[in-house]
Amino acid sequence: IQEDHKLSTLELEEKYGTSINKGLSSARAAEILARDGPNALSPPKATPEIVKFLKQMVGGFSILLWIGAVCSWISSGIQIAQGAESPFDNLYLGVVLALVVILTGIFAYYQEAKSTNIMASFSKMIPQQALVIRDAEKKELPAEQLVVGDIVEIKGGDRIPADIRLIVTQGCKVDNSSLTGESEPQSRSCDFTHENPLETKNIAFYSTTCVEGTATGVVINTGDRTVIGRIASLASGVGNEKTPIAIEIEHFVYLVAGVAVSIGVLFFIISVSMRYKILDSIIFLIGIIVANVPEGLLATVTVSLSLTAKRMAKKNCLVKNLEAVETLGSTSIICSDKTGTLTQNRMTVAHLWFDNQIYSADTSEDQTTQPFDQTSPSWTALSKIVTLCNRAEFSPGQENLPIMKRVVVGDASETALLKFSEVILGNVMDIRARNKKVAEIPFNSTNKFQLSIHETDDPDDKRFLLVMKGAPERILERCSTIMINGKEEPLDSEKAEAFQTAYMELGGLGERVLGFCHLYLPENDFPDTYPFDTDSMNFPTSNLCFVGLLSMIDPPRSTVPDAVSKCRSAGIKVIMVTGDHPITAKAIAKSVGIISATSETVEDIAKRLNIPVEQVNRGEATAAVVNGMELKDMSSEQLDEILCNHSEIVFARTSPQQKLIIVEGCQRQGAVVAVTGDGVNDSPALKKADIGIAMGIAGSDAAKNAADMVLLDDNFASIVTGVEEGRLIFDNLKKTIAYTLTKNIAELCPFLIYIIASIPLPIGTITILFIDLGTDIIPSVALAYEKAESDIMNRRPRNKRKDRLVNEQLAIYSYLQIGIMQSVGAFVTYFTVYAEQGFLPSTLLGVRVDWESNAINDFEDSYGQQWTKYQRNYLQWTGYTAFFVSITIQQVADLIIRKTRRNSIFQQGLFRNKVIWVGIFSQIGIALILTYGLGHVTALNFTPLRFQYWFVAVPFAVLIWVYDEVRKLFIRRYPGSWWDKNMYY
Amino acid sequence: MATLNEKKTCSERMENFRRFVWNPETKLFMGRTLINWVWISLYYLAFYVVMSGLFALSIYSLMRTVNPYEPDYQDQLKSPGVTLRPDVYGDRGLQIYYNISNNKTWEGLVTTLRTFLTAYTPAAQHLNINCTSDTYFIQDTFDGPNKTKLSCKFTSDMLQNCSGITDPTFGFPEGKPCFIIKMNRIIKFLPGNGTAPRVDCTYVGEESPPLEVDYYPLNGTFNLHYFPYYGKKAQPSYSNPLVAVKFLNITRNVEVKIVCKIIGAGITFDNVHDPYEGKVEFKLKIED
Repeated sequence: IQEDHKLSTLELEEKYGTSINKGLSSARAAEILARDGPNALSPPKATPEIVKFLKQMVGGFSILLWIGAVCSWISSGIQIAQGAESPFDNLYLGVVLALVVILTGIFAYYQEAKSTNIMASFSKMIPQQALVIRDAEKKELPAEQLVVGDIVEIKGGDRIPADIRLIVTQGCKVDNSSLTGESEPQSRSCDFTHENPLETKNIAFYSTTCVEGTATGVVINTGDRTVIGRIASLASGVGNEKTPIAIEIEHFVYLVAGVAVSIGVLFFIISVSMRYKILDSIIFLIGIIVANVPEGLLATVTVSLSLTAKRMAKKNCLVKNLEAVETLGSTSIICSDKTGTLTQNRMTVAHLWFDNQIYSADTSEDQTTQPFDQTSPSWTALSKIVTLCNRAEFSPGQENLPIMKRVVVGDASETALLKFSEVILGNVMDIRARNKKVAEIPFNSTNKFQLSIHETDDPDDKRFLLVMKGAPERILERCSTIMINGKEEPLDSEKAEAFQTAYMELGGLGERVLGFCHLYLPENDFPDTYPFDTDSMNFPTSNLCFVGLLSMIDPPRSTVPDAVSKCRSAGIKVIMVTGDHPITAKAIAKSVGIISATSETVEDIAKRLNIPVEQVNRGEATAAVVNGMELKDMSSEQLDEILCNHSEIVFARTSPQQKLIIVEGCQRQGAVVAVTGDGVNDSPALKKADIGIAMGIAGSDAAKNAADMVLLDDNFASIVTGVEEGRLIFDNLKKTIAYTLTKNIAELCPFLIYIIASIPLPIGTITILFIDLGTDIIPSVALAYEKAESDIMNRRPRNKRKDRLVNEQLAIYSYLQIGIMQSVGAFVTYFTVYAEQGFLPSTLLGVRVDWESNAINDFEDSYGQQWTKYQRNYLQWTGYTAFFVSITIQQVADLIIRKTRRNSIFQQGLFRNKVIWVGIFSQIGIALILTYGLGHVTALNFTPLRFQYWFVAVPFAVLIWVYDEVRKLFIRRYPGSWWDKNMYY
Repeated sequence: MATLNEKKTCSERMENFRRFVWNPETKLFMGRTLINWVWISLYYLAFYVVMSGLFALSIYSLMRTVNPYEPDYQDQLKSPGVTLRPDVYGDRGLQIYYNISNNKTWEGLVTTLRTFLTAYTPAAQHLNINCTSDTYFIQDTFDGPNKTKLSCKFTSDMLQNCSGITDPTFGFPEGKPCFIIKMNRIIKFLPGNGTAPRVDCTYVGEESPPLEVDYYPLNGTFNLHYFPYYGKKAQPSYSNPLVAVKFLNITRNVEVKIVCKIIGAGITFDNVHDPYEGKVEFKLKIED
């Protein structure tokens, strides 16, 4: 039992051989680290690997195949008992089926392990950092390297990196909900308040979060020895809730398994009532099940999802949860933060006003020059004030960096002004050195101005220059003249009016406006040696000359307007949620397009019509800016009404708690909501959202933990990329499934016709497995690489309750149209092979019993020739091979038509997705190897096929392609028509 | 990530299903309006009519391209299969077991032979011509009636002691049974390369004394004038030449394994996969 909370600071220092001020030495820390191991929980023994493995063996379609295998074994058992001639055929089939289940299980298991690893490597890319005092220095270290005795500092938003005995605290509160379930934040202090270490206030526990305040403490436990590390049960806290894609896949498995089982049972009954032997009927049942089950599909889906997750990581979206990829694609509302996400998170000069004119400045991220007119002498004067009346400085050693990227010591607006002048004038520090500062009054909230007095760099001018900047109205009060085109003119009411107009206009843009003025002090009154005293202000601070205004804003990221308009065309509503002032929020919303140029808020309409706000018809306003204060008093119905009636919404001055209310409101509308967040307080909203997005740079550990996705560059545009990828993977999975399902019919029909028409079996069960797990695998993965169709960001988000992954149209089109075409093509090949070898189609009907009889070795064909059983068997295998080859050839056409669902192949381009071609070549290559390479292995039932039979199905492949082009043409031509509704999947 | 909860109770599911079958509000039957069902059915009807048409067209053109007299390929028929009469199959191939003293056990076998030979009576063979030449009967033209080719006569009397004429019981009661060996027909197949192929029966493995066999016709040969076969259309009345074998010294009450091979150039009997290619193997057990 830990006694550390009872010890005094000195005793603690002694116990852990540390020092509160200096911390441990690096050497000592390394020793302890070697002794105790890294500060991380050993991974939870959640599910034993073997259980995971077994789950793969019985999950999804595996159970159907097991049934098939068991049926085979039973029937082979019966055959052995009856002493039949070849009892091992079925035994062997059963073994093959079991092998298939085990192999696909191993593959799926391997895939899952791999994707888990990918996800794990992603979480390593966002490591937890801790601020540690070592060797008397503050250092940022990965939390894993903390050791007992380290002195750490924590602040609001941090996850507590280890069990810590607090020594210094300032308003510190922690959220212990992960440990104790208490949802209220607990305050923390340095005092020993309770015997029980869990209750006392001076210990903060590993993995809880600091909600607010700061604290310093000594690490007393690390890794598995922490309190949470000892609570084993906590590791298994993850619920088994289902994500949308998991539901979709389950739905799909049910659908296909349902079709398989019902067709299987139906034909079992048919074959029994047609007086087939029960044993034979069971064999048919197995064949039908094997034909219907897309064995390789589930593995393909996992591969596709992890491919996309990797691709998104490259585009700065780290997905913590594989299925979140797809959820992002169905997003219909994005609630985005403003600062840092929509904006660049740095003040930048946006506008200038001098000579009675407003100039716009470039606010992009990588500005190197400023384009506005810089010839006026007023600008020269203004630039001098901007440069000199500024305390901000570049940190040393960044000469090679672009100006915009350099680190500055100073506040946000001073930084903006410094960079602005550095861009225009060049070396600011040099200018300041040449205009030596002799006195300075820094900005304070009572004065609301900043003032400094300089020598000038003109050797002939011995006057001092007094420069001043501050709140525009305060500056104007101190001025009696105004500079117009370099000349001082008296500040009359007309000019003051012009100033007011400009000030209001800039303020209305949500920008922070500063006024600038100067005064050359007369040489007579203020000689070289004049002792300036800033306390008594022995120099004039009124009757100055007003020079101009500069306004600053945190400008939107340049990629954001485009991203917002993409969202808009994609039917995604972007809602801005910010703590900022409504005017600023609205200005930014307008400039990025969240509020479009033509739409008005209720207030705008009121202003335009000059009527009180209450009289405005609320329906006319498409945009709304909601203040956090109003939101507080709103009922949920009122909120719903706002969310419903306005397409463009900005929430300003909101608290993080209100974010949760907004998310819930959106979800009540049935929307799939993505929420961005960075602070601790955002965690509930992030968790509540369908997809929580944390900021990689600005985000706190708590937010990153709660989120499903982390934006590495904090950029809103990356979310849109993510949405696009999510939609793409959904589309591509659809395509993969459609591709895979199609051939099931071509595999199933042979069995049905075999049973009904009693022809020689056109394709064997083993051959089917070679299609499902051989030729078809690489092409179906290749569809995951398919580029987006042009409309991907121009259609509405998918309705998660209605738009299924596998919908009726997809199944019907694949099964009943393309699948049937494939079957016809394959059957034509089958009949061709038999006819050219001596059995014309008419002879084949009804021959099954004699054909399969071992006792008939002079079976007569259409030409009177006689065949032994083995000769017939060999012909039957040739038929299998021909059927197999035809399906493969037509699957090439199927693969090509599945590239698009709406666009023509020519719009999409045949060669843009190179992987498809890899798929096609692999498909044909595998088929060639099977037929000609393994054609002599009798057990596989392949024979070296005459080459011309490869081409029999080609016209049908072309037909499939032409038919699908026509389908797509009509879909594009007649949107919303009967055709569109029934043929578009 | 918030997740979708789709847990439904059973009654909800039933209700949903009922609503799916017939939704009175939207008048949807199984998710479609009735008129919509008509349209979709018509579409599929048309689609399948067209597909069937295409299939029929393909088969029609296939039939147009195949030669009515002989198949395009004979990939599997490199060497003829051989069959035995009477043919009784057990679990492991041909098994002929009978008891001399119990005529029920062999009457069936005799009937099989007799029925088989009805195709070889002079009446059944009256359309065929008598051939005397001992060479291949090559016919490049259609000399027969109705654009057919001529076939040589093979009558059961050529099997002499095994013809069933002199001995209606084919020697079964004496324990010296007759068996008939038939070679499968293959179009334009010329066996023996100029010398008539002959049947040769031996025990499988070493047995003593060696098997004594009488072959009918003499030497157990298939006369060359029965070859080549020109196919069902060209030679509608063609019948396979036969060789009868009569085993003279079968040990009683012992199962013996006998193989009858056809010896002749172009006829192989060493295909491990096909037990009936160029030879026929069978088990024989005569009890008393």
